[in-house]
Amino acid sequence: MKTRPRIGLYLLVALSVVISFLPIVWLILTSMKTTAGIYAWPPQYIPSPFTLENYIKILRDSPELLLYVLNSFIVGVGCTAVTLGIGGLAGYALSRLRLKYAAALMVAILAVSMFPPVSLLPSLFQNFLEAGLLNTYQGLILAHTGLFLPFAVWMLASYFATLPTEIEEAAKMDGMGTLRIFLTVVIPLSWPGFVATGLIVFIFSWNEFPLALVLMSQNAMRTAPVGISLYPGEYAFPWETISTATVIAIVPILIITAIFQKQIVGGLTAGAVK
Amino acid sequence: MKLASALDRRRHLTGYAFVTPTILVIVAILVYPVIQSVVLSFGQSSIDGSTGYTFVGLKHYASLMENERFWNALTVTLIFTVLTIPLELALGIGLALILNEHFKGKGLARLAVLFPWALPTALNTLMWRWMYNADFGLFNAVALQTGIADKPINWLGDPTLAMLSMVIVAVWKTSSFMALIILAGLQSIPKDLYEAGRMDGMTRWQEFREITLPLLKGPILVALVIRSMDALRTFELPYNLTDGGPVTATESLSLYAYKVIFDFIDFNFGAAVVVIQFLVIFALSLVYILALRPKD
Repeated sequence: MKTRPRIGLYLLVALSVVISFLPIVWLILTSMKTTAGIYAWPPQYIPSPFTLENYIKILRDSPELLLYVLNSFIVGVGCTAVTLGIGGLAGYALSRLRLKYAAALMVAILAVSMFPPVSLLPSLFQNFLEAGLLNTYQGLILAHTGLFLPFAVWMLASYFATLPTEIEEAAKMDGMGTLRIFLTVVIPLSWPGFVATGLIVFIFSWNEFPLALVLMSQNAMRTAPVGISLYPGEYAFPWETISTATVIAIVPILIITAIFQKQIVGGLTAGAVK
Repeated sequence: MKLASALDRRRHLTGYAFVTPTILVIVAILVYPVIQSVVLSFGQSSIDGSTGYTFVGLKHYASLMENERFWNALTVTLIFTVLTIPLELALGIGLALILNEHFKGKGLARLAVLFPWALPTALNTLMWRWMYNADFGLFNAVALQTGIADKPINWLGDPTLAMLSMVIVAVWKTSSFMALIILAGLQSIPKDLYEAGRMDGMTRWQEFREITLPLLKGPILVALVIRSMDALRTFELPYNLTDGGPVTATESLSLYAYKVIFDFIDFNFGAAVVVIQFLVIFALSLVYILALRPKD
């Protein structure tokens, strides 16, 4: 193995890294140019001068862009909390309590997870309109929870299935009820599973587009991807603002992904390989 | 025996109580709305339901069959799916093989592969739209300065180029997802299989063909089906890149359905579009479930 030329490998790695990062790097460079620099010919590959003016301008003149990020955050955290809570209970029951219809329920949950979100839109919009849930955090949290619960149940169930049964047996011998065993024994043992699932659900919710677009139509309630996409309105694209807002909206995801790389990759691939 | 069956019943009661909240949310958000969409597609009603509902049978489906824009959207979606999936698979396998090697900076490389997947498609698409920009975009800047092109290329304004541009964005974003799933599959292949292969004097290509590929069948199948379903329902990519244009050259089924429902405000006709789309995807997901079902 050692004698094989490594240069080819490193070239391929470098190429993949460059291609992966290119749009993001170009966006960040754009956000640090002056407006004249963005539309200059010959093109500026490196901003000259470097400026943070676009960031200051957003903070000062376009507070709605920060509001979008806040909305995404509230919906993401809410959806993750609810999904882990009720998905954890369901995943535990389906993988551990030897229910008669556990297998059928798991398959049904997998099947509904394949519904295209757009097929929900006409009726979900009407139902939310009637229930007064349009343009509310609870509304989009509920919708995202429904969308990502199937994934969470599957992931958590497969995590619970890897735990040894002895500890739960012992707790049962001590006369603990099922709910108490779940809360005080199972959850502390399976927090890595909850972390991985929670991170991915948060990213899913942060990135979700069609439902957020339709269910949060008021400007002040828009999530980051939707708000930034609709920001240009009918006029020309103000790229200095779009690029800066996009950088602000993706930084949280970049940080989460960088820190929890292992958990996310593990969680994403666990189900598919089994 | 009596005690055992009482305990059994209690366990089942608790178990189903644990499952109930999940089932309720899934029914409210996924199952019931899809049934409602089917009902809507067979009738005529107003947005808020105040003018009631009249059953019109297959009327909307009949007019769909004669609707050129619907057929165009279906064709665009299928072309997009057929173009992206093989490219993603090839690149995904290649990336996974690279990431399975040992080299310095592997963590960074894996992170670079993960980023395009982790970022919102809507915003990824805006980044690419900016690079494709005919007047100030990166691609035309490089093409013009190096002399590859002598006038700006209209990436998103030409029907063929626009479809191609859209495929490139999708492949860029999701090859990484393919790669990660295939990589996990690669890592679960026992090392001694390769040692045995080397004993038999296999070349690396033979190793790949005869050991790696057969054992990757499962993960590849899963990745393929997840990705095909994603491609069939692609929405924010054309929404943000081209808005379906030029004219309708990149208008996917999801985007067409969205426009029918929320731009033309025709919920019943739009429901018929999403039901057809649903059936296409459902047929595929049946294949998925059959393939994934544990064999016993």
